[in-house]
Amino acid sequence: MKEKKKGGLAGLLISDRWSNVTVSVLAVILMLLTSSLILLMMGKNPAVAFRSFLQGCGFWPKANYGGGSGMLSDLFDYLNILSPMMLAALSFIVAFKTGLFNIGISGQMLLSGFLATIMVGYLKDLSPWIAKPLVILIGAAAGGLAGALIGFLKYRFNIHEVVSTIMVNYIISYTTGFFINTRYVDMLTRSSRVCSPASRLTWTKVPVGGISCNIPLGIVIALLAVFVVKFIFDKTVFGFELKAVGTSRKCARYIGVNVQKSIILSMAFSGIFAGLAGVTYYLGYTNTIVPKTLPGMGYDSIAVALLGNSSPVGSIFASIVVTIFQSGANYMSSSIGVAKEIASLITGILLLYAACGEYMKELGRRRIEKAVDREIARMQEARIKEGPDISGRGAFRQAENASAAGRREQEERKDQKEGGEDR
Amino acid sequence: MEEYIVEMRHITKRFPGIIANDDVSIGIRKGEVFALLGENGAGKSTLMSMLFGMYTPDLGEIYVKGEKVEFRSSNDATARNIGMVHQHFKLVDNYTIAENIVLGVEPMTRRLGIFPSVDMKRANREIAQLSKEYGLEVNPTELIQDVQVSVRQRVEILKMLYRKAEIMIFDEPTAVLTPSEIDFLLRIIDGLRKAGKTIILITHKIEEIKQIADRCAILCRGRLVDILDVQTASVQEMANMMVGREVSLTRVKSEPHFGKNVLEVQNLTVLNEHRFPVVKNVSFSIRSGEIFAIAGVSGNGQTQIADAVAGLEVASEGAILLNGKQITHDSIRSRAQAGISYIPEDRQSTGLVLDFALSDNLALRQYPKKPYSDHGILNFGRIRENAVTLIDRYDIRSGQGPKTIVRSMSGGNMQKVIVAREIEEHSDLIIFVQPTRGMDIGAIENIHRYILDERDRGAAILLISLELGEVMDLADTIGVIFSGEMLKIAPAREMTRYEVGRYMMGVKEA
Repeated sequence: MKEKKKGGLAGLLISDRWSNVTVSVLAVILMLLTSSLILLMMGKNPAVAFRSFLQGCGFWPKANYGGGSGMLSDLFDYLNILSPMMLAALSFIVAFKTGLFNIGISGQMLLSGFLATIMVGYLKDLSPWIAKPLVILIGAAAGGLAGALIGFLKYRFNIHEVVSTIMVNYIISYTTGFFINTRYVDMLTRSSRVCSPASRLTWTKVPVGGISCNIPLGIVIALLAVFVVKFIFDKTVFGFELKAVGTSRKCARYIGVNVQKSIILSMAFSGIFAGLAGVTYYLGYTNTIVPKTLPGMGYDSIAVALLGNSSPVGSIFASIVVTIFQSGANYMSSSIGVAKEIASLITGILLLYAACGEYMKELGRRRIEKAVDREIARMQEARIKEGPDISGRGAFRQAENASAAGRREQEERKDQKEGGEDR
Repeated sequence: MEEYIVEMRHITKRFPGIIANDDVSIGIRKGEVFALLGENGAGKSTLMSMLFGMYTPDLGEIYVKGEKVEFRSSNDATARNIGMVHQHFKLVDNYTIAENIVLGVEPMTRRLGIFPSVDMKRANREIAQLSKEYGLEVNPTELIQDVQVSVRQRVEILKMLYRKAEIMIFDEPTAVLTPSEIDFLLRIIDGLRKAGKTIILITHKIEEIKQIADRCAILCRGRLVDILDVQTASVQEMANMMVGREVSLTRVKSEPHFGKNVLEVQNLTVLNEHRFPVVKNVSFSIRSGEIFAIAGVSGNGQTQIADAVAGLEVASEGAILLNGKQITHDSIRSRAQAGISYIPEDRQSTGLVLDFALSDNLALRQYPKKPYSDHGILNFGRIRENAVTLIDRYDIRSGQGPKTIVRSMSGGNMQKVIVAREIEEHSDLIIFVQPTRGMDIGAIENIHRYILDERDRGAAILLISLELGEVMDLADTIGVIFSGEMLKIAPAREMTRYEVGRYMMGVKEA
């Protein structure tokens, strides 16, 4: 604890426990500073702009509300778009921990959303108690199968998952687009026809305290999913083996893990969450599918997962931050008159800083090392002044212990010294 | 005062948190082979990196040919005729040998009298001549990626010669070589000495120093222990100074007690990825209480035998029996659970998950079993307890105990992690592949003790080693492999070192 105080920000950046949180928080702070600068250059007050983002998401009261809407309805709408983002980020995390890069989240989302829409969404007179679980099930199954296919292609034909997912994304995008355009299109909107209210994963127009709200079911699924993923990776043999495959495929094989099976399972697992993201997006948030368009969220989620340090719980916070800017952009744009594309710019800046995480840690490390170096130099000078005595050795070790940087050489060195004392 | 070509006075070099060199002074005479002996991390490479201009000393001075020098980069050192062959070669794989050698000092020509371009013809010619002159046969137009490690090393030596180096530093040159290649290299070094070059040899192998060096400086934990005349110093004396305590160089082996057959390998054939047989029709068996060592030059199929027994390679023909039961087609895990432990050659990427905690790495064998896991849920309390026990029993040193990330540990301690984990399985068969490669004397002594203890416990041991000395010291039975074929199997006491070496070269019975 004492060391942490001494190290300050640098200490936090390299401490085992806090490093990842510090990096992400720092990225958010730097993002706020940079985007403030941009907004200032555009002649806008950054504080007002950021407040309007929050207002758009229902975190801050707006000046006035239209009939039937209020802060709560804004918040529910925000949660509705937050849920697929969290699920998509989880999808990426599952594959990523196994050393796989699932670029196909968009495609898997679209496929499962499309299948659930045509199989359940267009059925008439289905009880919501049957329709909603069915939608979730179909979403998970379609996504899982699409993911497993990628895993199988890698296992059987050694096709890199990045290549196969990108290709499969196109196949899904154009095939579903073809069917929507020929069979399910709404001539007015040029999108697919809307799903029945019974099948939607959102309870629409629920009156809560005089406001009509769209209450998302997806947020419950997303939060549950976070804890399922966390449990699997933290506590189970299955998760342990997936992580082993992800960090050292050779070693995983050597200890007897069936690496090929793990790859297929992990991709299937990742696909299931992408599928859930798909149904919460297309049958929860949008309620319709624009043909031949992959959801951008499938790609944004990769960045969100990395901002959350590819940890399930971290991805909750990362999704919350990123979604505020995306979901609040419309209101911000209309209230202060800045093009809403600034939201994408802000997200981009945030992810840029998040990607600099390693560099920030390195800066922290260097600061600490320099401090330790100075201390050692001071002690050695003292030793030279006092003449060659034995106490100098102990002083060096103190200085070494002061260093929080667990460098390998240092460990070796310490080992040797401790060994020397034993004898 | 003596005339030194290189003198380093009172050199101190600190790195954050450690003192790599502490007041070290050495002087090197022209035309001698000067060895730097010390364990891993003793500061040998750091000291020489300063002479080669890669680091600047914090305190102290360097004199070359009587002149004080301050190198800012290795280019400055090259300009003073100092060359260095690093432990990890610095070559461009998809360039030819000649291109690598001239890189940075290319002979230039003007094409059509105008356009400057590299004169590769001249380079090739010069290098062919240089290689003939020093007996370093290379083909200048071959690509680096197509040639063996020993040839790459020759290229590094030619690189120094091409830059007119007078003082040549070799950093652990024999670590990557086979016994015959080592002999060849030592002959080359001797030739260079005869040609008037000054050689500095960084190593932790005392036998090589005995063979080739004139004088030897011993470093221990960053400090200079002594500078000895190699002719008059004994091996034991040097070993003690290097480790800083008494070490035993001879292995005390008790009489073997052989039991029943544990492993039987019958007519094993293994194919590589090009469907080419790398292990050809090999048969042998190991009894309990027996150390069966496979001797051979690197790349003759010995690691494939180990992998095939452990299940990492597929046996395309033949049978493998453990305790009389067929395991030829069993999975890796079921073989491990049937009683095979395996200390692999590649510790860092095969034997360990470097980014996992020490406790997890110590449980890599046990985690699927009770009480380490139950119904697929891991019991981290048990995994931690296991780690605490093993860390104590095997003296594994780490920064933060069980939760240390293994990547931050030293190589010797990493090997202890693997050995502890595999031995604690108390398997019937334990496979050791190159268990002491790159380790220093003190650590080797420990590993050898573990191997002998396990044999005396009654385990069957398959030892695969490129160190002939290790094979001769430990084995009860020796099998010599050449080009995938088992040329000879005989009790160790019936074979001399010389005989084994001859079979290793592929020479059958005269």
